[in-house]
This record gives sequence, C-alpha cells and structure tokens, in this order.
Amino acid sequence: MLIPDFTYYRPITLKEAIRLLEEKNDSVLMAGGTDLLVEIKKGLRNHENVISLSKIEVLKIISENDHEIFIGAGITHNELITSPIISANLPALADAASKIGSHQVRNTGTIGGNLCTAASCCDTAPILLALNARLEIADTTGVRTMPLKDFFVFNKKTILKKGEIVTRIIIPRLNEETGAHYEKFGLREAGSISVVSAAAMVKLHEGTVTDACIVIGAVAPQPKISYAATRLLKDKKVSDLFESSPVLDEIGEAAAGDSVPIDDIRGGAKYRRDILKVLTRRAIVKAIGFAETKRN
Amino acid sequence: MKHLININVNGDNYELAVKPGTTLLDLLREDLRLTGTKKGCELGDCGACTVIMDGKAVNSCLVLAIEADGKKIETIEGLAKGEELHPIQQAFVEKGAIQCGYCTPGIIMRTKSILDKNPNPSEDQIKLELSGNLCRCTGYTKIVEAVKTARDYMNGKKPEKLEFMPQKSAINLSVVGKRLPKIDAPDKATGRAIYTDDISLPNMIYGKLLLSPVPHARIRSINTEKALKLPGIKVILTGADVPDVRWGTSPPRYDETILAKDKVRFVGDVVAAVAAIDEETCYRALKLIEVDYEELPAVFDPMEAMKEGAPRLFDDKYENNINTHVNHHFGDIEKGFAEADHIREQRFTGNRTYQNPMEPHCSIAEWDRHGRVTLYTSTQVVHYVHHQISHILNIPLGDIRVIMTNCGGGFGAKAATTAIEVMSIFLAKQAGCAVKMRFSREEMYLFGRGRHKQYIDLKIGVKKDGTITAVKQKAILEGGAYSSFGIVSTYYAGSMLTTLYKFPNYKYDGFRVNTNLPPCGAFRGHGCPHPRFAFESLLSMIADDIGMDPIDIRLKNAMEPEYHTCNDLDIHSCEFTACLEVVRKKSGWDSKRGKLPRGYGIGIGCGGFVSGAGYPIYRSKFPHSSAIIKVTEDGSKAILFIGDADIGQGSDTVLAMAACEAMGISYERISVVSADSDLTPIGFGAYSSRVTLMGGNAAKMAGEEVKKQIMAAAAEILKTDESKLDTKENKVYVKDDPSIFIPWEQAGFSHFSKKGPLLGKGHYSPPEGLGGKYKGAAIGTSPAYSFSATVCEVKVDMETGKVNVLNFWDAHDCGTAINPMLVEGQAEGAVLMGMSETLFENEVFDKNGKMLNPDLHNYLIATSADMPVIDSSIVDSYENAGPYGAKEVGEGATLPVLGAIANAVADAIGVRIFDLPITPQRVLEAIHSLKNDKS
Repeated sequence: MLIPDFTYYRPITLKEAIRLLEEKNDSVLMAGGTDLLVEIKKGLRNHENVISLSKIEVLKIISENDHEIFIGAGITHNELITSPIISANLPALADAASKIGSHQVRNTGTIGGNLCTAASCCDTAPILLALNARLEIADTTGVRTMPLKDFFVFNKKTILKKGEIVTRIIIPRLNEETGAHYEKFGLREAGSISVVSAAAMVKLHEGTVTDACIVIGAVAPQPKISYAATRLLKDKKVSDLFESSPVLDEIGEAAAGDSVPIDDIRGGAKYRRDILKVLTRRAIVKAIGFAETKRN
Repeated sequence: MKHLININVNGDNYELAVKPGTTLLDLLREDLRLTGTKKGCELGDCGACTVIMDGKAVNSCLVLAIEADGKKIETIEGLAKGEELHPIQQAFVEKGAIQCGYCTPGIIMRTKSILDKNPNPSEDQIKLELSGNLCRCTGYTKIVEAVKTARDYMNGKKPEKLEFMPQKSAINLSVVGKRLPKIDAPDKATGRAIYTDDISLPNMIYGKLLLSPVPHARIRSINTEKALKLPGIKVILTGADVPDVRWGTSPPRYDETILAKDKVRFVGDVVAAVAAIDEETCYRALKLIEVDYEELPAVFDPMEAMKEGAPRLFDDKYENNINTHVNHHFGDIEKGFAEADHIREQRFTGNRTYQNPMEPHCSIAEWDRHGRVTLYTSTQVVHYVHHQISHILNIPLGDIRVIMTNCGGGFGAKAATTAIEVMSIFLAKQAGCAVKMRFSREEMYLFGRGRHKQYIDLKIGVKKDGTITAVKQKAILEGGAYSSFGIVSTYYAGSMLTTLYKFPNYKYDGFRVNTNLPPCGAFRGHGCPHPRFAFESLLSMIADDIGMDPIDIRLKNAMEPEYHTCNDLDIHSCEFTACLEVVRKKSGWDSKRGKLPRGYGIGIGCGGFVSGAGYPIYRSKFPHSSAIIKVTEDGSKAILFIGDADIGQGSDTVLAMAACEAMGISYERISVVSADSDLTPIGFGAYSSRVTLMGGNAAKMAGEEVKKQIMAAAAEILKTDESKLDTKENKVYVKDDPSIFIPWEQAGFSHFSKKGPLLGKGHYSPPEGLGGKYKGAAIGTSPAYSFSATVCEVKVDMETGKVNVLNFWDAHDCGTAINPMLVEGQAEGAVLMGMSETLFENEVFDKNGKMLNPDLHNYLIATSADMPVIDSSIVDSYENAGPYGAKEVGEGATLPVLGAIANAVADAIGVRIFDLPITPQRVLEAIHSLKNDKS
C-alpha cells in the first residue's frame, strides 16, 4: 500500500508544534498514527505536512491533584491501563481503554488521538463523557479548557480549529460512593469495533442515585450524553435498579430514544437500539456495583 | 526528503536514511532484508508484522521508520542464539503450533513480550493477550499450548507429559503414526523460511494491476500516455498488448481474458498492468492511466440475474447468466417421498466468505536468455499454474519453471492461476528483468475465488423410525463474474450430500449464476459446507419432529463400509458410526441434550470429504502424484522430491514420514524438496484434500523402490538372500534373527559405490473408471472418503443475541493418521475456521458492487479470544487405498462445524436460524420473533 510523500516534522515543544501547525498548509498532527496511517494507506486522506507529537514529553504525563486527574493527550492506551494513578482513581477508564483494538494498537494509539479521530464508535469518549471530563486545548494564544461534551461535532469531526492541539484530558476525581462503567458490544471477543456502547456514572447517597450520567456510543454521529436516561436515573432508589427491573427498563428505553443509529455492516438501526437498552442497563448495574464496593 | 535515523535492531546499530512515509516494516524487510517479519494486512489488523520496540509489541506496519529513530527493535531473527532455539521457538516447534508459518514470527514476538511482562499468564490471559495476532491455520489451540509450554520452560518447569495412545493401524510402525514436529517448523519459527515476497532478485522491478472501479462497463478507450511519462515506469500493458487467449480454471469454462479486452465485469476486474522501478511509482502510474468506461447496467443478485431481461455478463454464452446447470436424479424421488411418513422442506442461505490466508499472494517472474521463464509464486498448485501458463503463452511446459516457495496458507485462495502470476510473466518479458507483483489484502478479496453464497431449498423425507427415504435439493450458487472453479463447485454442492447417510432416492438441481461481483471459487470443503449446513440442520429438525434423538437419527442412516451410493460413488473404509459414538460419549450428550438451561445449547453436525478428486481438473493422463527419492552417496540422508505443495498443512512432513517408513529409516534422515517444476516430478498440488493419500502413495512407492535396492546391496554384504532381509530404524536386518544387521547407510554407500545413484521412483493415479456414466459423474469420485462428527456447545446472550461457542468435541475417520499431531492441527484449524465462517464472516457490497469490507478490520475472522475448547479424537480406521491406511482430514473437518453450531444455537434459543452467518442481530431477531409468536 502506498503512503504518498509528505514532509515530516518532529517538534520537541508544544510551542513549536503549534507554530508548525499554524504555518504549514495542509498539515496534520500524528499521535500514535494507528488511525492516521490507516486512512492514508487506504487513500482516504493525504497531507503535505505531518507533524509528529511523539517527541513532546509534556503530552506523556499523567498527574493528579486533590480535585482532578490530568492525562496527557499523548498517553497510549496501554499506559493508561497500567498507570497506578488511573487504576486507583479511574478504573472504568482503564477498563474502557483495554477494549480498544489489539495490544499492539494499544501500545501506539493514544487517548488524545482516539478523541481527535472522533469516530462515533470511539471507545474512550463515552466513559470520559460520563466522568464529566474536560479537554485542555492549546494554540498560539495560550491554553483553554472546555467540556468534552462540546468537543464532538459529527462523526470524525470536532470543534478543533487550525492551530489547536488537545494537550490534556482533565477528569474530576470521583467522590466516594461514585462508580462508573463502560459497556462495549463488539462482534467478536477482541479487536472489534463497537457496534453499540454505553457508559454510566452514578453517585449514590443513602441508597439513592444523587448524580448520574449516561452516555451512548456508536448510535449517533458522535458519542453523546443521553439526557433523557440521565434524568430518569437521578433520584432513583438503588433497590429499584436491579437487572430487568421496570425502572431500569424505562431508562434503557430512554437511552434508545436519544439514539439515532444507522444501518451498516455491523448491525441495523433497530438492532442497535435494542441492544443499547441492554447495554445501558448493564452499565448502570455495574456502575452501581462499583459505587457500592467503594462505600464498603 | 530523506531523514537520517539511528536504530538498533537485535543489538546491532544502523544509521539509515529513510523517507518519511517508510514504515518500520518496510525498513526491516526491504532495507535491512530482515524478512522474518511478515506483511499480512498492512493496516494493523493481523499482527503478522509484530516486533518489539523498546520492550513493547507493536505492529511495524503502523509505525513510521522515522518514529523508530533512537529505538531498540527486536525481531524474530534476534531470538535464537545461533542454532539454539529460544524456549518459545522450541515450544512452538514441539507443540505443532506452526502450520503455514506466516503468522508465526509475529506470534512468537508477541509471546515474548507477554512472557517478558508476566512470567505466569493463565490460559485465559494468553488467549486474550494474543488476540491481536490472527492465525488462519491452527485454530489457536496448539499456539496457546505452545505459549503455556514456553512459559513452563522459561520458569524451569517441565511441561506435563502428553498421554497418547497410537491407533491400532500404527502400533507396529516406526515413523508413521508418531507425533513428530513438522519438518519445516524450525525454519518457520526463526523467520528463516522464505516466502515469495521475501525474495529479492538482482535488477528486480515491481508490478501492479489497474482494477476496474465500476461493476459493469464497456471500455471505450485507455490512455496510458501520461503514465508512461512518469520517471521510473518501465512497462504498461493493456488488453490490446496481450494475446487474445481465454483462460481460467476448468477447461469447459475458460472465460477470463489476460487483461480486460472490451468489457469489465466487476469492481476489481483487471484492466491494465504496470511495471516500474518501485511500487510507489506503479501506484502513481495507475492514477495516471485514463480509462473511458461506458457503464452498463449491473446485476448483483443471482435471482435477479436469472430473470429474463437481466443485464448479461457474457453476450455469447451463459444464457440468463446461468453459468452452470446441473440436473441430477438418482433412484425415484416421487416414490421415495411417497414412502416417507414425515417430510420437511426448508430454504437455507449461505454466506459469501473469503479464505484469507495470512500470506497475500505474491509472484516473481524472470525470463532467461534462452526464452525460458521462471515463476516464483505462492500457490497451492504448481502443476496447474505450470499447465495454465503453458496454455496462455502457448509454449511447452519445458520452457516454464514454476517454484512454490513457502506458502502462507491457501484454503483454496491459491488453488488456481492468478492474475499476478500471469501478468508478472508478461511484464517481465517486456521489461527484460525480473518483476515482482503482490496483492494487498484488498486486492486479495477483489481477486476473489472465495466461497459461493448458496441459496438452498432442501427437502428430506423419513420413515417413522428415521430412515431417510428421499432427498431433494435445489441450490443456486452466486458465482461472481467468471467461472473459476464454479462448475466443479456446483457439482460438488450436489454430489457430496450422498456420502454420509445412505438414501436411495435423490434429486439435485444446481444453478451457478454469474453476477457483477468478484468471482467465487474453491474454499475449504469446496461447494459442500452450505449444503451440509442445510442438511445437518434439517436432519436435526426432522429428528425433533418425529421425537428422535439427533444422534440416533444419524446412526440410523449412517454410511457403512463398502457402500455404493445412489449417485455411483464407492465408499470403502467408513467409521462414521464410531465418530458419532465418540462425540456422543465425550460431550456428555445424553445428559445434556434437552436438559441445558435457557441460553445454553448443544448440537451435532457431521461431515466428510473426498481424499483427493478422482479426476484432474483438465483431461490428463499424468499420474496425480509422483515422487523421486535420491539417497546421498554416503547413505546418510534421503531426499524426497515431490511435486505436491506444502501450504502449511504439513504435507512435506507427512510425505517424508511415509517415505521414511517405506525405506526403514528414521525421520531425521530425510529432507524434502517439493513443488518446483524443474526439480520435482508432477504432483497436482494441494486441493481436494488429495495430498496425504495420493502424494503419500507416491512417496511410499518411491521409498519401497529404494528399500529394494538397499536390501540387494545389504544381501551382498551379509551374504544372504535379500528376501530374508528387512529394514527398520536405520538398520538392514535378517528377519529371522534381527541381531544380524548392517547400518542402513552402509548398504546405501555400497549401492552407490557399485551401481551409481540410489534412486527410487513412485507415482499414484486413482483407480480407473471411478464413478457413474452420467454427465458430471466424475465430480465427487475419490479413492476414499473421510468421515467426521462434532458436538458443539454454545452459550447465547439472550438479550444481545451474541453466541459464545464453549466447546467442540470432534471425531474423525481419517484412516491411519500419518502424524496425529498434524491431524489434530488440521481439525482444530478447521473447527475454528468453520466457526468463524458460521458466526462472523460475510463479504458485503454496496449498491454499486463495491466491496465494503475488503480488510481484516471490517471482515472479522476469529481471534484467539474467540477460541472454544476443542477436543479432537481420531478413531481407529484403515483405508486400503491410502498409504499405511491414511485418508484426508483437512477439508472434511470443516463440514460438520456449520450445522453443529446452528443446531446448538437452535437448542439454546428455541428457534432456528436458517441464514449464515449467524450474527447476534439474526439471533436476537429470532428470539424476538418467538416472543411475538407466543404473545
């Protein structure tokens, strides 16, 4: 397969990367390259200038403070999975990352790349949305942050403008009695694209859901929060949220109501809606399980 | 602009200039000539290119070489210490984890990275961790065993000793029947085995094909002017530049042109060919060739294609696009159904699947100054390529040399001549130098020759006691644009239904229909898996209807030895009943059937196949297999020259073992040269599961001829009569007193010294006159038939429809297993491939005939994480026609799988799926339909 000629840049500072991105026409950033190189080889895209982020050390740091966890956009999926900070604080994110591609892909693919590719079936976005993540974005004027939920515009399209780089993902620490889970449905046991996915975050207090977020994936042009399902879940008693409970069914229906799935080779729209209900219920039950474990 | 990088590969530092777009894979393979790292899909889906970079396993096809600057790379070539294999390599060799070997370097490197991180992975961890490395041959069972063994070796533990009971027919043999490692395994484990794409000849250039972007069109004109001006371009050929020859696979249906003459008939049809100094230039040239297409209406559905007024693919033949029509009637179908107490009829639909050998096709052609061409190619059938090239070029076989290098799997995808085999020869002739051509994964799918999707209407009648009285089948095969093997596929779809169960009345109507899609051909089990899926499904449905156990109804009708089927096939050895009994017992069938909880199910499926087609693909009087053995002058080694092809199934090993047994020497004293038309005598190659029986007989006969000469030489030394001698385990001994012997090599040395070269020759042709006298009677004939049964247990997620296959218990009558470890490898591979086809695989096209999933990302095949527990048994059996009693197992083992899964799913969910693949969506829809019926 052909990779057409391009000019390659490997800046070592963020500033330099931003400058190159601003200056060079038809330029693209390359993180792990696991999506970009595939699309170039397939002839789906082609760029005169490729700016590699592989030497920018600041993008490869995971850190934390009392309130938040900071994940450098250049952190690979396997680095997420093996990071003690992530395992201790955001096990649901590590679990979601473990469901991406193959081990080899997870060794090169990055969380920032996964988000910026912005596929509707993206595996890190649903759980990050459920965890109320924000993105740190840098350009020549400085650094800003924005909620991840405002980042995706459409399938493979984000709000990023020319000259902007996603530098960090910022996730608020989970309080006690908060649990989250990402449920993925692929057509085989490993290395498959999500046909449908659902993520749930629940915060419990005295047996009641006090805060929640339900995110649905691969059933709309972009991963999105199901506000209807989220609303229904809030203030519900945990005792009413068991497998196949009517309340949970209703929440599943609400999530399906927020979906706009398509027919494609992986499944029909109706089928996607049907299993979205199931995945939503499963994600909630598991998230509650994690929240309760924490309390104990 | 090139960039200078510093890279450490296997401990050695290199300073190299690389283009930004060069991948690490290409750097290793092309620049450093470390060809052990394989190119399988180029898109990060198969893992064949796995290397370890700074301690981490990566797909080197998705790493730019420039990004590896300053990094430490470990490849397969760096693993062994000199001749001493790494424990992982040792385990892979010993455990039979290597078949075609193309995925092996990647899997071994991935294994190393797993064990480097975690010295004690569990079996489940291994299965999940290896899932980024696809293997199409082994079914992963032996690979996982090898990883566990390697783990134990590296932890200083001795692996558990395998308990193994030889078959009765092998008890008195010294080589045949033993679990010996494959002869080519050490080379494949170290990355030393050379596949076609690993070869780089001096002054070699590259070629690529221009494929049609439209499904059906007349070519108004082709303009190559701009492309020819590109620097580095050497040759461009279009239909006008090549002879107007029709070629193909089956002579009555030669309908392919060398390059499109006037029309293209599918997206992917070959329009032109270019050769240039590198592939990059070829790709650029392809973009500059201007083709003016006059688009024609296209048809993709066989039912539509058969209708009056449908677009015709060929104006001069195949009326209503019906490429082949078979109309067979044996016995009396009316009478048969009249005698039945219960009749059931059902429509089943198969799926369009692709073989996906891990190695993409590659060919290199080079002409010499005497007008002789050499073709290195990854093929299953050296002789048929040889024959076809002779037909196309109109030159004798003697002016063509075809060499099969190591072949990274075929399963039928390499069972006939390909466009790159033909075009590399034409381009090389014009260019005056060697030309290499290779398919990308997408081009493999577009060249096609995968499984025909069949639409089957099946009707079976039985008596109250389950006795089958009549069978009626109508099959419509969606054939794609050209014939390929299709005529044979259409006959096979009908003829092979009669070999498993005895029934006297049978009617078969088969139609193969041309459509504007890639041509279909022969895929493992050739034409039979879909009819067999239909039959096994319907038979279980009927058993349920009449209140009979599904295994009992099979036992009631089971084939028996020395039976003449209603369509004139002669069954000889047959231990089908034993197969059924073994799987019934091993699976705990009687305690599970009908007793499993909802969502769990158990099902039975059966199959069997020919042990080699009774007749060749074209009319020929040549022996089907032939062999020469040459003993070295000191008698220390025998070299077997055999035309049949080892495509990973292990034929070099099996044929060597048969030859060793015949000569009386041990396995380490033989070496094999196979599938090189200059060096080896004709063998029809690896298709129709023919090599063990036919090649085995030829090798055995050659061995016996050597033995005769060895005994004559020994008789002189021992001063006795040669009739009093025998050979075994490298000795020539006196039968009445084995303590009197001389070493085998001494006799060999003596023969050579007195009489010159010690050679043995052998050949095999099936018995003459196999089969009946009707049209198409030849297809389905064979010297021997295999039989198998499998029980499958599944778990179904009743809310999502996802099927999890938990277990397979399969049993095979393959006669004497020449090498039981290889037989298990074939069976396990067949089970997993069959499972993958049943659950996952399907080629999908858009409304313009463009394939939507020509890769390994969207066309899913099973990974190690999907692998069920497979328990394979070999039953006692002896086939008189086979070498030491052997028959086939490679294709027959696939056939039971589809029906077994379908039956298990039906048992689990209470409703049946009639269409393949059995996707979660179909399962869930079926579950919902049941709920709706009840409500």
